Amino acid sequence: MAKFLFVVPPFFGHISPTLSIGASLIARGHEVKWLGITPLADKHIPAGGEFIYPAAELEEHLDEINRILKRQDDGPACSGPEVMKLALEETYVPFARIMMPGLSNFVDAWKPDVIINDCITFAGALCAHIKGIPSVTTTPVPPDVMGDTANSAPKIFEWQQNLVKGLQQEFGVYGDEIVIHSHKLNMVFTSQAFAGFDEVSPHMKFVGPVKGRPNNAAFDWERLAKATTPKVFVSLGTLLVDIRKEFFQKLITAFADQPVTIVAATNPDIFEVWPDNFIVNGFVPQTELMPHMDAVICHGGFNTVNDTFINGLPMLITPIAYDHFHTAKLIENSGAGVSIRYKRLRIADLRDTVFELLQNPKYREAAIKVNETFVAAGGNDKAVQLLEDFAAAESVLAPLN
Amino acid sequence: MDTVASTGKLNKEEIFDLMKQFITEVIGEEFVEEMDITTESSFTKDLEMDSIEIVSFSEKIKAHFGDQIDFTGWLSSMDLDQLINLNLGMIINYIYECQ
Repeated sequence: MAKFLFVVPPFFGHISPTLSIGASLIARGHEVKWLGITPLADKHIPAGGEFIYPAAELEEHLDEINRILKRQDDGPACSGPEVMKLALEETYVPFARIMMPGLSNFVDAWKPDVIINDCITFAGALCAHIKGIPSVTTTPVPPDVMGDTANSAPKIFEWQQNLVKGLQQEFGVYGDEIVIHSHKLNMVFTSQAFAGFDEVSPHMKFVGPVKGRPNNAAFDWERLAKATTPKVFVSLGTLLVDIRKEFFQKLITAFADQPVTIVAATNPDIFEVWPDNFIVNGFVPQTELMPHMDAVICHGGFNTVNDTFINGLPMLITPIAYDHFHTAKLIENSGAGVSIRYKRLRIADLRDTVFELLQNPKYREAAIKVNETFVAAGGNDKAVQLLEDFAAAESVLAPLN
Repeated sequence: MDTVASTGKLNKEEIFDLMKQFITEVIGEEFVEEMDITTESSFTKDLEMDSIEIVSFSEKIKAHFGDQIDFTGWLSSMDLDQLINLNLGMIINYIYECQ
């Protein structure tokens, strides 16, 4: 049995798949812990696992962490190049710097066999490299969302490389090698076909969506059962707090008097009264709910995208910022949905598109095809097998290193 | 309209009008009405063009001016700050110089 440490960012969309794989690893008898720079509620942690929040080492950085988290709300108002700066220079690199001391101390104390870092949580692989511990990377979104900058935008590529190398040098890693991701195993939670890659480096493993994280959110199933019109699930994810009200106002205007039932995952407090055909909850058991739906509207958060196509549902994606545009393009390429940029979203188009998705079977047929590639990718079983094989191979190699 | 028809060199005002027309075609008339498009308008920030819209804008420039203007190549040579600060006036100047 092996000890696995997941190193995660303070963004639930990135943590979520690690909770699912972690639950599967625990079920196989492994020891699993998570480490992050903001606390995570116990209800999210699989039984038998533990979330480490290195409070002592983080104490002096609390203001900076909060400032960076608040800064994420500016994302939707930023242009593409500004978002790149916000993400890499103002978020990922400083978070890695802040995380390193607490992570390093914990790794020395617990001695994990494998460190698994999320793709934007650079400290995990960097710490593993420094201490000679095998590392794996998890990538919840289709890779290459910034595009092939090495060829298409050489100055932007150089900027990315310099930022990362600067971070590495701060921790005594010199040279040109980039060590913030694993070069041996990078697990991506989608299919290679959906991500649009003909060929990938052999260490990139597309395992498809994973499931099984704890989610005990309550839901009024009786009310849903009484609904007789097509059911449309709407999610805006856990970020993007500032534009929530505006987004749902558009939905109300478009669908309040229409023959659909809107099931929305958002805090109901944003409006005093919701239309009768809206079922609104702050937290929902999304995995259990999705098989009852007929279509999905979302901004492009990748866990919702996966839940949608696993159930063969068509999607209206309304990309707002970050990697949403890349995801939207992949969905349109697959034929399983329609993309309307949030900033260009007209009420009439919103309404017409949802009815088109519900009535034209071609979208659902394409979504079922996407799901076939997801299922073939292997999911939890494949991810666990890759991790166990990796841990076993590395422990054999350890004396040679 | 979108063909290589222009034989004479356009002046900067004509290029500005043409750019406004391309922007309107790309992002839609009703969204342009809410904007005050000037030569100071930042390309990515004020006009809020995303990458797909920039590609379609670039295609319109290529269709109109042909190979004499490598707009995409020009953009890809920029660093992040240059892209953030890129405004319509700079694009007009670039096209004017290339003609």
